[in-house]
Amino acid sequence: MRPFDPRLLRVVPAARRPVAALAAIGIATGVTTIATAFALAGVVVAVVDDRPVAAPALWLGALFVVRAVLAWATEVVAAWAGVSVSTALRTALVRAWGSGGARPDRTTAVSLATAGASAVEPYAARYLPTLVTAAVVPVLAVATLAVVDWPSALIVVATVPLLPLFAALIGHATADSTQRRWAALASLSGHFLDVVRGLPTLVNYGRAGRQVEVVREVSERHRRATMETLRIAFLSSAALELLATISVAIVAVTVGLRLSYGSMALGPALVAILLAPEAYWPIRRVGQEFHAAADGATALDDIIGALDDIIGALERAGAPAAGADAPFARVDLRDVTYSYAAGLAPVVRDLDLVVGSGLYVITGTSGVGKTTLLDLVAGLKVPTSGALTAPPSHYVTQRPFLAAGSIRANLTLGHDDRRVPGSDDHLWQALRAVGLDGVVAGLPEGLSTRIGDDGFGLSAGQRQRLALARAWLAPEPLLLLDEPTAHLDPDAAEAVNALIVALAHRRIVIVVTHRPELVAVADEHLHLLPLPDAGDPAPTATHHDLVPAATHEVTP
Amino acid sequence: MTTSPTAAPDVRVGVEGLTKPQPLRPGSASDHRGRIALAGMLGGVATASGVALTATSGWLIARAAERPIILTLMTAIVAVRTFGIARPVFRYWERLVSHDASLASLAARRSAAYEALIPLTPARLGRRRRADVLTAVVHDLTDEVEAQVRVTVPVVSSAVAGAIAIGFTTVIAPPVGLVVALVCASVVLVSAVAHRMETSSLGALVAARAEVVRVSELVTSQADELRAIGAWATAARWLDDAHDGVARATRAAVRGRALAAGTYLLVVAAATIATAAIATGLEVSNPVKALLVLTPVALADAITPLADAMRARAQARAAAARTAKLLAQDPAVRDVRGSLPADAGAGSEQFRGVRLTDVAAAWDGSNALGPFDLGVGAGEAVAVLGPNGSGKSTLLAVLARHLDPLSGRYDVHTAAGSHDVLTEPLAEARARIAVVDDEPHVFATSLRNNLTLARPGATDEDVLQALDRAGLGRLVAGLPDGLDTILGAGGRGLSGGERARLAIARAHLSGRPLMVLDEPVAHLDPPTARSVLADLLAPRRDTDDRGASTYPHDSDAGQGTAPGAGEDTARVAPDGRRPAVVLVTHRPDGLDLVDRVFTVTHPHR
Repeated sequence: MRPFDPRLLRVVPAARRPVAALAAIGIATGVTTIATAFALAGVVVAVVDDRPVAAPALWLGALFVVRAVLAWATEVVAAWAGVSVSTALRTALVRAWGSGGARPDRTTAVSLATAGASAVEPYAARYLPTLVTAAVVPVLAVATLAVVDWPSALIVVATVPLLPLFAALIGHATADSTQRRWAALASLSGHFLDVVRGLPTLVNYGRAGRQVEVVREVSERHRRATMETLRIAFLSSAALELLATISVAIVAVTVGLRLSYGSMALGPALVAILLAPEAYWPIRRVGQEFHAAADGATALDDIIGALDDIIGALERAGAPAAGADAPFARVDLRDVTYSYAAGLAPVVRDLDLVVGSGLYVITGTSGVGKTTLLDLVAGLKVPTSGALTAPPSHYVTQRPFLAAGSIRANLTLGHDDRRVPGSDDHLWQALRAVGLDGVVAGLPEGLSTRIGDDGFGLSAGQRQRLALARAWLAPEPLLLLDEPTAHLDPDAAEAVNALIVALAHRRIVIVVTHRPELVAVADEHLHLLPLPDAGDPAPTATHHDLVPAATHEVTP
Repeated sequence: MTTSPTAAPDVRVGVEGLTKPQPLRPGSASDHRGRIALAGMLGGVATASGVALTATSGWLIARAAERPIILTLMTAIVAVRTFGIARPVFRYWERLVSHDASLASLAARRSAAYEALIPLTPARLGRRRRADVLTAVVHDLTDEVEAQVRVTVPVVSSAVAGAIAIGFTTVIAPPVGLVVALVCASVVLVSAVAHRMETSSLGALVAARAEVVRVSELVTSQADELRAIGAWATAARWLDDAHDGVARATRAAVRGRALAAGTYLLVVAAATIATAAIATGLEVSNPVKALLVLTPVALADAITPLADAMRARAQARAAAARTAKLLAQDPAVRDVRGSLPADAGAGSEQFRGVRLTDVAAAWDGSNALGPFDLGVGAGEAVAVLGPNGSGKSTLLAVLARHLDPLSGRYDVHTAAGSHDVLTEPLAEARARIAVVDDEPHVFATSLRNNLTLARPGATDEDVLQALDRAGLGRLVAGLPDGLDTILGAGGRGLSGGERARLAIARAHLSGRPLMVLDEPVAHLDPPTARSVLADLLAPRRDTDDRGASTYPHDSDAGQGTAPGAGEDTARVAPDGRRPAVVLVTHRPDGLDLVDRVFTVTHPHR
């Protein structure tokens, strides 16, 4: 794994400022630390030589005040950087998915956007600052030493590379067993989470009691396995620390010898022994922090990988054809083919379709591609091949989204920046149109009544009608309705059908349904047939046969 | 059906064979505390060695500057070397002891918490998103126990190093000893303030983070639905608002630790200057003066880790409080007598049905729902329909014996007659019912073990048949490792529909006569939802014609799958015994496939 992935700055521009701020503070801290060594040496020399201590003490005090401010700023900026980077990653991911980027399955997507992005926080807040210090301080310390006392600098330059070399040797010798151990550890430490999350299932089948002993046993094994791994890790870091101490001791001894021969003054000697350790410790520390931030680094890798893919794909695809800015007057599909992934059989194949006005009803058996067709027209899915243009649409899906919030907020959802007349009168009119006014009026707080996630407290039919009221309010010239009456009893379905017909007077309405009532009043009717398997003869009927108020059967 | 321990490997296969079983070393809690204190002492020696290393180096240099005979430097050189070696050695030792003790304590804490969770599962884990509640418990336990390494050890280490520094400086020069003592007192004070600030800001931070998780989960999983209605920009703004909340809470939370980090250095500066002023007037040798002046600076290494330790302490205490609160709840069901073996009831009785009469129940003692009447006969399929919040889940919880009713009767009818379920041992009552909930868990183990936990003695043939009945036959046939395929974290991923089917296959395999499904398809898209339910319910209609559905809506024969008759018969167990099904749902999918629909109306507000 790389210590720092520069793709972060390219893919997530919002991460640039925090990283730059961390670097700036890291450099400032490094410089102040070096300066403090001089001031401290000055104070000691003054005390030892019995000279006035005030002047060097003032310098020391001032430098410590600067360091205190920098220490304060490091904490603040590190926390800010952690939040900004993880926030920027999450926003970039969610926006990429929202603009039609290929999304992994629901579970992976959710975990990437929640836990994944959060895991990056310690990486940015703790590891990156240490990394900056490790890159800056040793270089500054050695450079200063070279000026103050070049023999000490020579010793440090000769021994510093031993640290990573030594670390690499230890790492190499144990890489195999470490790899194996980490895999085993991951499985052991995952076990508890697994049986705890599965507790309802285990309780259900009466298996939970026995797991107590298993949990204890596996936790003990986890302890032993972890300790085996940690022993090696601790041993190597102890060895590195010993190496650093010995190197500092060599510096101290040579400095001491030169002092006692009188070939060196006390001041530079003190600076040398104060600076020499600074050349070593950040390198050791970065190793510790990296261990702590390893999860974040892995998550970062996953997220940047996902973002890279989406950005690449979007760049290749160019601007989406069904853009909301383009004022197309009609829905126009030419040779549209769609399959879920390359190599999979298409769901829709070579479909031509023109819808200019009125009520257009699509029927067909389950799984034939009706919903996919609406998704394509709405721009939620991008055709694998072919051309598609459509005016901006409002699409009532089979499980319409209802937010936790008031009925009013749900009716005006998405309209707040488009200045749709949101007066309560208008909302009541919409509720009346779907026959929900009585229900809402009966609620204690009317339009302000809160409904929960996914429409808590409303029946499926009421949720469906609320979504239709929202569609009634929506300003888009194209309405797409997927099974709008599926959840309704016959009376309500009849009312909704009448509403749909009325809506079709002033906009284009495309309805997917399996009910005959709407087909009877449709301006056009398309019946989709299942796609023949590969090798079957091509279907004969095409959309060219379509005429108003006639039923045609085509394969999508 | 065997109940011997060897037949219960359940979900541990993924971790088998790592180390040979060894006798456990179950340390007591006080034992762990003692070892953590020892680790703190060792850390103190390591930290003090570091301080001494810097101080004696200064002494060595100052002595060398006096140009003595080289031999007289030997004491200083030996001291520097000793401290230089002591620091890494004692640090290594401290880490071994502290991590070992902490992991042992984690093992003990985990099994204790697991045991405490069992009687609270599932009714006391919240109504939905139980897996998230349980995940939080796991993380909180880790935070709580890690505090030993991240808090106790550094605090004890710093205290030990501080005490040693006070002792030595006091012996050499009492006024400097006083300065060092004042440093320690100030550090304690600053740390206490930082801890208080961390604690007071933590609640808001946890809440803000939870809000980000809620919103990003909502926006991610409903991206298409939001875009469909043109609400994407609004949703993106929700996420921005949640992010702003976290940024604000983080700014507030960092104050304590930033203040501590800055103030510690100011304390060190003041102490260094004071020591320098005192040292000039002292009647000690120059090298000792150098040693004294360098001591406060060297102490900085012992002080700065405390800022992190205070944060960790605040987090650990909050985590411990959350876990304690969850585990302190009373179980939602009282067990009548001691538990019997889990599988006692299922095979031994001839199940004819269950009946709830006039049952009212509540999750928390208030807002009772009901009364309900519900009867389910053997092999019958009943859907319980109603809006969210109407009491469907409450009804289910009573039926599954997860929740004691406040009033009413719950009877089971068997060939031997009827009896009261509420006076039965809990294990016996539950052994009748297989519950499939809305977040079916897939264990990180083989496909076979994922099923046989429902019936440990099951043969591969039984398992394959159960999978086939749940509509997973084709999936299994396509797996190169078949039943040995490892699922779950690190294994083959399953889609939402496959997970629901796996849970149904588990229920089939259990052979329990009543299957209760709680919103099994709530997270699935409509076509998948319909096909899962069709595979569960359809065979019943084709092979066991009970007449038309009583569902009032006109049903559509074209919807759902329309499998051939031969395929259907294959899905029915050869003994012809099918479980009764109670399907709790707020969606209409599959309602045309059940025998009866039981509608729970919304309670009056």
